[in-house]
Amino acid sequence: MTEIKKTYKNYVDGKYVRSESGKTYTVELKSESYELPLTSKKDLRDAVTSSKSGFDSWNKLSQYNRTQIIYRLSEMIEGNRDSYVEILLDYGLTKAAANKDIDNAINTIVWYAGLADKWEQLTGNLNPVVGEYFNISHQEPIGVVFSLNSTEISIDKLLSSFLPALSIGCSVINLSEKNAVLSLKLAEDINNSDLPSGALNLLSGDFSKILDDVSRHVEINALASYKKLNKENLKIINENASTSVKRIFHLPSEEGLSSILPFIETKTVWHPKGR
Amino acid sequence: MSNINTKALASPLTWASTIELLESVKVDEIGVKERVASLSTRSIKRESKLQALNYIVSMCDLTTLEGEDTEGKVLQMTAKAMRPDPTDKEVPSAAAVCVYPSLVSTAKEIIGTSNVKVASVSSYFPSGQVPLESKLLDTKFAIDEGADEIDIVINRKAFFEGDYRKVFDEIVALKEACGNIHLKTILEVGELRTYENIKKASLIALAAGSDFIKTSTGKISNGSSKEACLVMAKAVYEFKESSGFSAGIKVAGGIRNSKDAIRYLIIIKEELGEDWLHADYFRFGASSLLDDVLKQIRKLKTNAYQSSYYFPRG
Repeated sequence: MTEIKKTYKNYVDGKYVRSESGKTYTVELKSESYELPLTSKKDLRDAVTSSKSGFDSWNKLSQYNRTQIIYRLSEMIEGNRDSYVEILLDYGLTKAAANKDIDNAINTIVWYAGLADKWEQLTGNLNPVVGEYFNISHQEPIGVVFSLNSTEISIDKLLSSFLPALSIGCSVINLSEKNAVLSLKLAEDINNSDLPSGALNLLSGDFSKILDDVSRHVEINALASYKKLNKENLKIINENASTSVKRIFHLPSEEGLSSILPFIETKTVWHPKGR
Repeated sequence: MSNINTKALASPLTWASTIELLESVKVDEIGVKERVASLSTRSIKRESKLQALNYIVSMCDLTTLEGEDTEGKVLQMTAKAMRPDPTDKEVPSAAAVCVYPSLVSTAKEIIGTSNVKVASVSSYFPSGQVPLESKLLDTKFAIDEGADEIDIVINRKAFFEGDYRKVFDEIVALKEACGNIHLKTILEVGELRTYENIKKASLIALAAGSDFIKTSTGKISNGSSKEACLVMAKAVYEFKESSGFSAGIKVAGGIRNSKDAIRYLIIIKEELGEDWLHADYFRFGASSLLDDVLKQIRKLKTNAYQSSYYFPRG
């Protein structure tokens, strides 16, 4: 029988798309060589448009419903465990390490699924003030988040680069570089988890090629890099981002409650105490 | 680009010469599609793009035609038409605002001496399913309120019943009611279905004295299309050849982004020439298009993709 190989594509607006530029880059692994889409600035633009509407549809769902959808992702991954292990082995992990990574990934998902309808109680507050007022720190998701995945070969790390923002209601554009086979593979299970299209867009490519456009784009509200960036790039990003007051987070926390803090907007609400 | 509505007014032909125009109407459907497809692949470079985008702003009829329209909404929209991007002086004002007759005086009040025009739909927009007397009343009301331009709909009932004469006579009567006010006639191309119908309706509307022919009311799902625009452009060209009058075209309904709008400009320039790249001869009826165009203009100037959040609502 002829061997049929899969074409890995970007996951944008709930669809699998090639780069509009037609460009690809090669990821050479032990047994396979993958041609992945090299995301261009126009692909980024499309992803942002999608994330903008994805933010609305993701937030229309109840927090309880978002919990169920994120939890479903863990069920999907468990069902396809073998195919993830295969890719991780190809990236050079041992079988034990690969299985361990998937165990961790599933734990991570379950944790964030649980957090999705509880975070506001944990991070919000009723503040003591002098006067007959309630003073409330009301919590909202910041909006469209661009996140750059770390360079590690790990599904758990990949999830940790978008679940913190996604679980609290942000829409996320996630870019992976050399390890993008994992995220484009994960796109299939994301798609099967009933996540509304646009809530999460997964891209592959070279961050330095779109760095300027990402940091200038007015509709991206926050940029989180889980990959260590050099000083020059950070300087460019910070300068560009200042024109749209974009929040920049370099190597933010990847676990626990502190991981979601960058993506929360706090509004202070005053309300008179009635009698 | 400021002196709009300086062009000569149209005057109706006789029915006899209109029949002659209609006799040989044939449209090559595949040809139209191919031509549009090939014009749509053209890429526009940065400098020309900025110019095109500025043209589009100056050709915009900023439109709100909803039952829920209020004076407040029209005030806001009119202010936006006069100064689409308050942070950038180089962005021209829009050509006109387009509202229902009952809101003409509201828009007129805020416009003052600015060169933005007030267009009003009339003749029982969007269906036009009333007797001519009512259409005339509707139109006269809009004119008395101060409308500078009138957008009417053709009688599609009569058109589909084959009573072209009635379609023609109604437009002539409304044209007469308009006097020296510019008349735009809406064909509703989405309902006309075939290119031949679109061309026939275009020629009838032109012969009856329309200053502009307009694609759509924007009230049905299939509004304007580039193919319809091309067929209408050809009708305008033929009409100019036979009668000497240069009519305008207004495209409306479903044009939401700059890229699409630029493609319409290309079609008009290629079919009718550069003279038509002016608000006197070409208009976009739109509500959300302007936002995208403003975003693209600032994108070209700052190199950063923009958000509607930072532009005036309207």
